[in-house]
Amino acid sequence: MALIELISRETVKIPLVATTKPEVLRELVEFLYESRRVAEVDRVYEALLAREELGSTGLDGGIAVPHCKSDAVRSLTMAIGISRKGVDFNSLDGRPSQLFFLLVAPPDQTGPHITALAEIAKITKARSFCTTIVAARDADEVVKLFRTE
Amino acid sequence: MGGTIEKVMVYVDGTEQSIAAAKCAICLAKETDAQLLAVYVVNTRALVDLVHAHIFLESERSDYLRDLENDALRYLNHVRELAARKGLFVETVQRSGSVHQEIKSLVEEYAVDLLVIGELPRLQSRRDELYDETERAMRRVGCSVLIVKDQERVERLFETLP
Repeated sequence: MALIELISRETVKIPLVATTKPEVLRELVEFLYESRRVAEVDRVYEALLAREELGSTGLDGGIAVPHCKSDAVRSLTMAIGISRKGVDFNSLDGRPSQLFFLLVAPPDQTGPHITALAEIAKITKARSFCTTIVAARDADEVVKLFRTE
Repeated sequence: MGGTIEKVMVYVDGTEQSIAAAKCAICLAKETDAQLLAVYVVNTRALVDLVHAHIFLESERSDYLRDLENDALRYLNHVRELAARKGLFVETVQRSGSVHQEIKSLVEEYAVDLLVIGELPRLQSRRDELYDETERAMRRVGCSVLIVKDQERVERLFETLP
């Protein structure tokens, strides 16, 4: 499944209420659980935390890309989260992270997983676009920023 | 008319859409007597980009590379088995690099008449960053391209193919 097909109002959470890194991860995973995209919150949450232990996925420019593999999802699954105030994510530049692209993939879908992450990597370089996303009022506006009419 | 389609290449990436494309390519090859080639590209370009973007650690690149190579073997074997069920031989090729560039190179190298790919994303993006690699390959190859849709119909065709 292409990244564009993963972006919908059901997978965009604005605003995040979490104020710490673990809370952000849990909030986004629970959000995905509510729409049945994740079968089990704890397994995905623990996998994301384990990945963060190896090295933070907080990039510079206020963006973070937490990701993991888990068999608690049946297909490639993504959530976009926006924190108005920003959260300390141990990012590369030390700045709080406001824009989160959380990606979870089944272990046997490495190809699509890599492709989706590579697309996210390109998006993170488009700084003015990311600034526009962070300023979006709601999930519908974020979706419109990505999709054609 | 002989030789309208002599060599068919199907691109497989492990998605349902690409497996449907493989089944369609098998049907087509059987009906036209064309040679069949199945290709998987290990997207090492993306792995490099992810490390440069600091999304991947170097250790992750190695882990995911191993997984991609295992996926390549698995999905190419699967296509071989699907073809064998219909009494067909399929040559399988595994390459590494940029997906659309490798597909283009292979089409030229093997003098492919028809590239078969799975259905492209139905949703279009405003963003160039979300340009699908398979779609990029479709636009750049010099041969005709068949985009396989209607997976249910393809499944029926494949199952009823002798």
